[in-house]
Amino acid sequence: MIDFVVAHGLVARSDLPIPQWLFGWAAALVLVVSFVGLAVLWPEPKLEREWWRPLPRPLSRLVASRALDAACGAIGVGLLVLVVYSGLRGVQTSAANFAPTFVYVIFWLGLVLLSVLFGDVFKAFNPWRAIGRAVAFAARLASRGDLPAPLDYPPRLGRWPAALGLLLFAALELVVADGDKPQNVAIATLVYSALTFVAMALYGVEAWIARGEAFSVYFNLFSRIGPLERRGGELGLRQPLSGLAKLEPLPGTVALLAVMIGSVTFDGAAESPLWTGIAPDIATLFRDLGFSPAHALEAAFGLGLLAAVLLVFALYRLGVEGARSVGGGFSGERLAGAFVHSLVPIALAYVAAHYFTLLLFQGQALAFLVSDPLGDGSDLFGTAGRTIDYGLIGANATWYWQVGFVVAGHVAALTLAHDRALALYDDAKLGVRSQYWMLAVMVGFTSLALWLLSQANA
Amino acid sequence: MPPIAHAGHWITSIAYFVPVLGFIGWLIVTQWRERRKGNG
Repeated sequence: MIDFVVAHGLVARSDLPIPQWLFGWAAALVLVVSFVGLAVLWPEPKLEREWWRPLPRPLSRLVASRALDAACGAIGVGLLVLVVYSGLRGVQTSAANFAPTFVYVIFWLGLVLLSVLFGDVFKAFNPWRAIGRAVAFAARLASRGDLPAPLDYPPRLGRWPAALGLLLFAALELVVADGDKPQNVAIATLVYSALTFVAMALYGVEAWIARGEAFSVYFNLFSRIGPLERRGGELGLRQPLSGLAKLEPLPGTVALLAVMIGSVTFDGAAESPLWTGIAPDIATLFRDLGFSPAHALEAAFGLGLLAAVLLVFALYRLGVEGARSVGGGFSGERLAGAFVHSLVPIALAYVAAHYFTLLLFQGQALAFLVSDPLGDGSDLFGTAGRTIDYGLIGANATWYWQVGFVVAGHVAALTLAHDRALALYDDAKLGVRSQYWMLAVMVGFTSLALWLLSQANA
Repeated sequence: MPPIAHAGHWITSIAYFVPVLGFIGWLIVTQWRERRKGNG
């Protein structure tokens, strides 16, 4: 359970003009108005259309060049090595060691922002992909010919390995008592790297990166929100959100999104009086089963994480079953796959709203951690004396930004679902009626998000 | 168990979910009426 002090807010927001819960009502109203606006002003699908224009050639070629790809890959490998080295050899204080802040803040949160703004940047920096490709290249040279073809990636696996990978990462961050201990971060990185190399050797580098490697799949989903997309050797522009409309609903995609939203939900709920009230009782149950006190609490938190993921899954399935009940002759599975892409902006809204201050404040720690990655007093770049400026943003401004993220994310989700309904249903009116239930889901996720944020200072 | 003295906190928490509960209730009633109309 990560112990950064600035996790979700610093002080109570006592001077808001209206009660916090009323923001939830206002947000729900914005969604209803947006829904009506979409029904009236958006009569045919627009996001499913093919539209991509390359950027001016010199810029496009430079950004998508092999040399830059190789340089980014080398940087990614260097950072991976630094995380492992600092985690194993540095001081075992999470705030003073490079590894925890880099993994849980810069990588896990910062890359989400970069992916939305600049496209799938992690693909270029992915250290496992870079190493896999380099090894394959060297092996081809050494064998003086083509290597044996990898196994076919089993279609039924879909995005299930990525969902499992993200769930385990969330468990390390939110469930394991020493999950932010630098040594544990380094060991987890080594174990994950080894598993990734084995999977890439079996199924091929690109096949595993595209579907199975948890972080590649995670950041790729967020990159589909933004307007930048690389095709072949060129970088171009597309309509924002249209990358999501082209998301293939592979098996495990709903589970993956449920993990993405559910893990943030649990992180927020874990601060609520509701959870702090029942967690000790659950831990006692595990102690009665023979668990040690520390492991009993971890088991309780693990159960809470799973419950949050299942809650998100159930809420989505409620919307899907409601949409199915309206008519149209689609199965629940078909509808669940058809609308799953609309959960991605919700996942982004949850991450942005919940971790906004963590990224803003703890992200500044990178300035001194790069100079002293091991926490041993070194000052490589002369920035080891830097401190975190907690006055960057006030508590009320933080709340307004958080509400803005939540509302914007859910309006984007409504837009995606509306556009897909128009493409899916022959009868446009039936398509809109099916979306009443998806609107209920969006209002539900909005209410949940704002309640969770309010719990940070409860 | 959470103490009853914290009822104020619980009521505030429930207030967040009033819009979604109201909306789902309205949807269920609307669909039920339409089905009755269809059967009748």
